[in-house]
Amino acid sequence: MVRVSRLACVRVPWFAAAAIVRCEPTLAERPLVVVQGTPPATRVVEANAAARERSVAAGMTEAHARALCPELVRRPFVEARLASAQHALLTAALGVSPRVEDAGPGLAYVEIHGLGRLVGDDRAVGERLVRLARDVGLEARVGIADGRTAARVASYGDVRVTIVPAGADAASLAPAPLDRLDLPEAVVTTLRRWGIADLGALAALPRDALATRLGPDGLRAHDLASGVDSAPFHPWTPPPFWEEAQGLDWEVHDLLALGAVLEVVLARLAARLSAVHLAADVIDVRLGLVSGAHHERTVALAHPTRDVDLMLALLRLDLERRPPPAAVIDVALSVRPVVARPGQGGLWQPPAMAERDLAALLARLVRLVGPDNVGSPAVDDSHRPDAITLDPFSPPDSVVNDADATTERPLALRRLRPPPVVTVAIADERPARVTRGATAARVVTCAGPWRISGEWWDTRGWARDEWDLLLDDGTLCRLAHDHMTNHWLLDGVYD
Amino acid sequence: MRGEVIEIVGRLSSGRTSLLTAWLTDVTRRGGFVALVDADGAFDPSSAVRAGVDLRRLLWVRTGSRRDTALRAVDLLVRCRGVALVAVDLGESPPRLSLAAAFRWRMAVQRAGTTLVILTARRIAGAGATLAVRTARRALEWSGDPRPTRLARVATDVEVLRGHALAAAPHWWCA
Repeated sequence: MVRVSRLACVRVPWFAAAAIVRCEPTLAERPLVVVQGTPPATRVVEANAAARERSVAAGMTEAHARALCPELVRRPFVEARLASAQHALLTAALGVSPRVEDAGPGLAYVEIHGLGRLVGDDRAVGERLVRLARDVGLEARVGIADGRTAARVASYGDVRVTIVPAGADAASLAPAPLDRLDLPEAVVTTLRRWGIADLGALAALPRDALATRLGPDGLRAHDLASGVDSAPFHPWTPPPFWEEAQGLDWEVHDLLALGAVLEVVLARLAARLSAVHLAADVIDVRLGLVSGAHHERTVALAHPTRDVDLMLALLRLDLERRPPPAAVIDVALSVRPVVARPGQGGLWQPPAMAERDLAALLARLVRLVGPDNVGSPAVDDSHRPDAITLDPFSPPDSVVNDADATTERPLALRRLRPPPVVTVAIADERPARVTRGATAARVVTCAGPWRISGEWWDTRGWARDEWDLLLDDGTLCRLAHDHMTNHWLLDGVYD
Repeated sequence: MRGEVIEIVGRLSSGRTSLLTAWLTDVTRRGGFVALVDADGAFDPSSAVRAGVDLRRLLWVRTGSRRDTALRAVDLLVRCRGVALVAVDLGESPPRLSLAAAFRWRMAVQRAGTTLVILTARRIAGAGATLAVRTARRALEWSGDPRPTRLARVATDVEVLRGHALAAAPHWWCA
């Protein structure tokens, strides 16, 4: 049999509790329950290991659970927190393979076929998945097999990484109980009534008879129990913005305490970015206020980074300028991930500035002169005079091609922005005297005109005559007659 | 020229900005990052592109005619390792710079291994500069006959005011 696929199932047991422990790591050792519903009829959705040891189980009322374990810590079931944890799990898996499938809360399938030369054998891949999941705050179990069902069942093993040898999916599934598969409750009940206790017994049933009695659900159950995995793989695509949220049980009034919360949330985001070697270039902050309103800020980082201290300092600076108008009860951050520039330049290039130093420098310059005055100039694809834009400074790593080097040394122009309107006296159809305010200068030599125009098909059309002038004070300047406004403009001075 | 404070002074149209642009070209072509603190916003990217400056390696800081802000920006930049050249264009009305500040810049650029170029109408760094040059226009050439239609070339003389540098032939800049 030719092996065509190899899959790893990354599973986080007791995912709702694990998602809370990820946000509040101090709860890991304490009995914790996730509850849902309106008090006093709240019910336990999930309990962590410490709570389960004290006989607390899902489905019981919170009052019952607290009677069994007085020191119980409760946290409400928050969908957003689960979504963040799931996103973190998938991101961690992306650090191993680009093909990851989202299989529901706490579950991800990773296509690992062909990673042998890059990462190592199946065990090395499994260990790396466990480590990356731990880096984003989740304790995962990994099962590796040819198909998804066998991989998932293997992930229930006693060790962190369980490997099913190639071609042994059906044999590994045989002893597993029925509830390892996501089968409809009615099918499971019927099978149990027939005396079917494990997947091996289910796979041994005649397929046609099973279809006759249980319909399509029966056939699907038989396929899963036999290790037949015919469903297509749906690769997961990361969203354009990555979010992390933290609900607070108390009200935060001062920025110092808020900074501590922001640091925790940023650390989780940075761990996710680090898993896939990306960096953030924009941070959106959304603070839920006690008044019910939201305080939203967008902090554009001058340079992509995933440095928690740096991002925290920038968030603090921004929130000091625009503090939230009321106490904060909820913090949500989202970042736009971009590819981080590697710090190492070429062997023959001058040493590049460290990413963190550059980001800090740009942030300080932005504070000093404003965001619109710092960046790399770029010349627009237009003949319009002075058509430039200012792009974010992101120096390239590539070595400059000297083949384009020119031997000509052009004369530089010092632009006057905006170009001042001047009064020009004409003699013999050429400028003879230029007056700017109270200062007048005689034209010694003039060259031109050079007539240029463009964008006549648009409302922003322009047309002008340009002259190069030598004034009697020794200044060489460029003068332009704007045909649209009939004004004379002093464009700049040659220097 | 690492760790140097260089002043380029001269009148308008003497060729000092062209000299600075040629320097920016040289550094960016070697893969270095340069920073230009532009007090008046006079930098013309189109001229720089013609001269061969790699604009992606140029950090342009405009201070909106605020000289004190320009000096503070230079203070930040000269302390940063990894910037090959920091240039500050203070235009025609340079601010006063104390000798202590000039020497502080000199120590900073020596420690960071960068070069600071101050472009202005008159000298302000005094003994803090390791090299000071003055540019003066020597000649002009126009194209077009019988009436000139375009400025063709400008020749610039460079005179060393402070420090040691070899005497150079006049630089010709093409308009």
